[in-house]
Amino acid sequence: MTIDRRWLRVLLVAALIGVVPTSSHAGGVGFGEDDANSGDDGPSYFGFVREVDGPGVADAKVTAALKDRGALVTRTDIMGVYKIPGFGKDINPDDVVITCAKDGYAQANVQRRPRDPSDTKDPVEVECYLKRK
Amino acid sequence: MKHFLFAAVVAALACCQATAGHAQILTGSVISAEEGAMEGVLVSAQAVGSPITVTVVSDARGRFRFPDGRLAPAHYALRIRAIGYELDGPRAVQLGAAATDIAVKLHKTSDLAAQLTNSEWFMSMPGTAEQKRPLIECMSCHSFERIVHSTYDAEAFFPVLKRMAQYANNTTLARVQSRLAEREVHDDLVRKLAAYLATVNLSAGPTWPYELQTLPRPKGRATHVVITEYDLPRKTIAPHDVRTDAQGHVWYSNFVENFLGELDPKTGAHREYAIPVQKPGAPTGTLDLEADGDGNLWLAMMFQTGLARFDMTTKTFQMFPVQAALDNAAAQQSMVMPRASSVDGKVWSNEVAKQSILRLDLKTGTYELIDPFKFLPKGRQHAPYGMAADRENNLYFMDFADENVGRIDAKTGVVTIYPTLTPKSRPRRTMLDDQGRLWFTEFAANKLGLFDTKTESFKEWDVPTPHTYPYDVFMDKNGELWSGGMASDRVLRFDPRSGRSIEYLLPRSTNIRRVFVDNSTNPVTFWAGNNHGAEILRVEPLD
Repeated sequence: MTIDRRWLRVLLVAALIGVVPTSSHAGGVGFGEDDANSGDDGPSYFGFVREVDGPGVADAKVTAALKDRGALVTRTDIMGVYKIPGFGKDINPDDVVITCAKDGYAQANVQRRPRDPSDTKDPVEVECYLKRK
Repeated sequence: MKHFLFAAVVAALACCQATAGHAQILTGSVISAEEGAMEGVLVSAQAVGSPITVTVVSDARGRFRFPDGRLAPAHYALRIRAIGYELDGPRAVQLGAAATDIAVKLHKTSDLAAQLTNSEWFMSMPGTAEQKRPLIECMSCHSFERIVHSTYDAEAFFPVLKRMAQYANNTTLARVQSRLAEREVHDDLVRKLAAYLATVNLSAGPTWPYELQTLPRPKGRATHVVITEYDLPRKTIAPHDVRTDAQGHVWYSNFVENFLGELDPKTGAHREYAIPVQKPGAPTGTLDLEADGDGNLWLAMMFQTGLARFDMTTKTFQMFPVQAALDNAAAQQSMVMPRASSVDGKVWSNEVAKQSILRLDLKTGTYELIDPFKFLPKGRQHAPYGMAADRENNLYFMDFADENVGRIDAKTGVVTIYPTLTPKSRPRRTMLDDQGRLWFTEFAANKLGLFDTKTESFKEWDVPTPHTYPYDVFMDKNGELWSGGMASDRVLRFDPRSGRSIEYLLPRSTNIRRVFVDNSTNPVTFWAGNNHGAEILRVEPLD
């Protein structure tokens, strides 16, 4: 059975929205001033890490890097899915490089799905492929 | 002078305890009409005039035994802790040369509310997790007793909460301190909290409109413990971070006063070292206490700003004030990490008001401000808090306001952010073990966490008691974790390999911050301060 790609994307986006963290307050008395998602959020990043022509790879490291500046790092779940909350809106998504890694594998290629450039919050779907060494 | 006098008296008392007469044996049983022999009752003995209280716990047969020789001949006051019960008697015992066996009788209390921990109030209060979440901040300054016994309605609560928001976070009931810089607080959030608090206090009547929930008494291995409390000479002393030195002396930061404290647990002698005031009029007190590679101690000066280095040989301070360009009325350094400063001559710290990292150059005495979150969305709150440094002086830090572990490369300055597995986890204090594993607490998520710096992967474990809100964790030489916090009056001992845990109930209301384990003893010894109780706490497991 194959899953329609559009539905897969919808499911992934839904999962992503469910886990995008909301901000919390700094130390001291805050009186619960969290959940203040701002208009400064750039797009989040999500997708699969897969073996080339194979299944998703669990517990693979996924890095969203800004050259010489910094990075956000997460790992895939049991299905090989990852979600990265994202950078500020002043960061151009084209400057963000997604890579994946796992012991015993080498990165084969990365595929970035087309997105609507006019929607600055449209999540960026990037699939990362690994091949066994 | 008065401190030395106090130390001399304490030393004399402790000396007498240790040497006078023969080794003492105090044993006994605990019974009540309701249960008969009672397991898990804490029995505490404190000699008249001594600052030291020793506590043991009754076993499955209701029997207890103080360690042989720990109590010298003297007149001892006795107290107990067993949720739902009070002490009938005896309330004192005279220990002479002969072994003494006593029958401790308990009766049901008529005031259960007076015995509840913050965790038990959390469990008892109705309301959603979102409604209760702001209350975890209250514990920084006081227990829930003040809240639940109040009679304010929502309207009356509003100005009280507004006023409290302007207190420095290094405030206790014994020493309230106001911030120099006013803090912005959103009225709608204050009203929301005020409305909730008015539903859980006594504003509607003389009793609480909900059933009081309690945690069970200790049993099994949780009763195999000896707990020693060292009362400090002033009620205003608020021990925050505690650690031992090579001689076994205990050093602690005082959260609300400009003193570094030293305690000799063998004699009970106590000494204080005055830290020069850097910012007259600003709240006093220090938070993070860390050792550098030479064993000298560093303190983060909080609202006094900057860092202090204490030379363990000369017993003098060298101050590292923040340069004027970085200083202001809100400036606050809560953390310091000097562990690997010999590598590059740099010491890590933080600037709470700017949600940033500071790096002190020991040669120039100037600080570099680093915003590790500059590439993240601007509207989010962050707070670099607990810190650790690896051998190359790369920094690992906890993002206490959010859900991240961060790393700053000491050479390149590149920042890497690792979101924790649990959202909104609020990672708090941390330690880096010699295998490159970063152990930390997830304060808001009620979890202990592991970040493996080699594999860059997380693991998390729920702590067994709900609403514990662990503040800090320490990995001991046996691979077991020790943790404590501000809510449960319990010390958690947790084996991450088996998932098994033991919780040692403490003899009284205890607000724990930084925890420390002395690995030189067998079994290991746990140390912490009671931040609101002016005491140092030692927990000695018997197995």
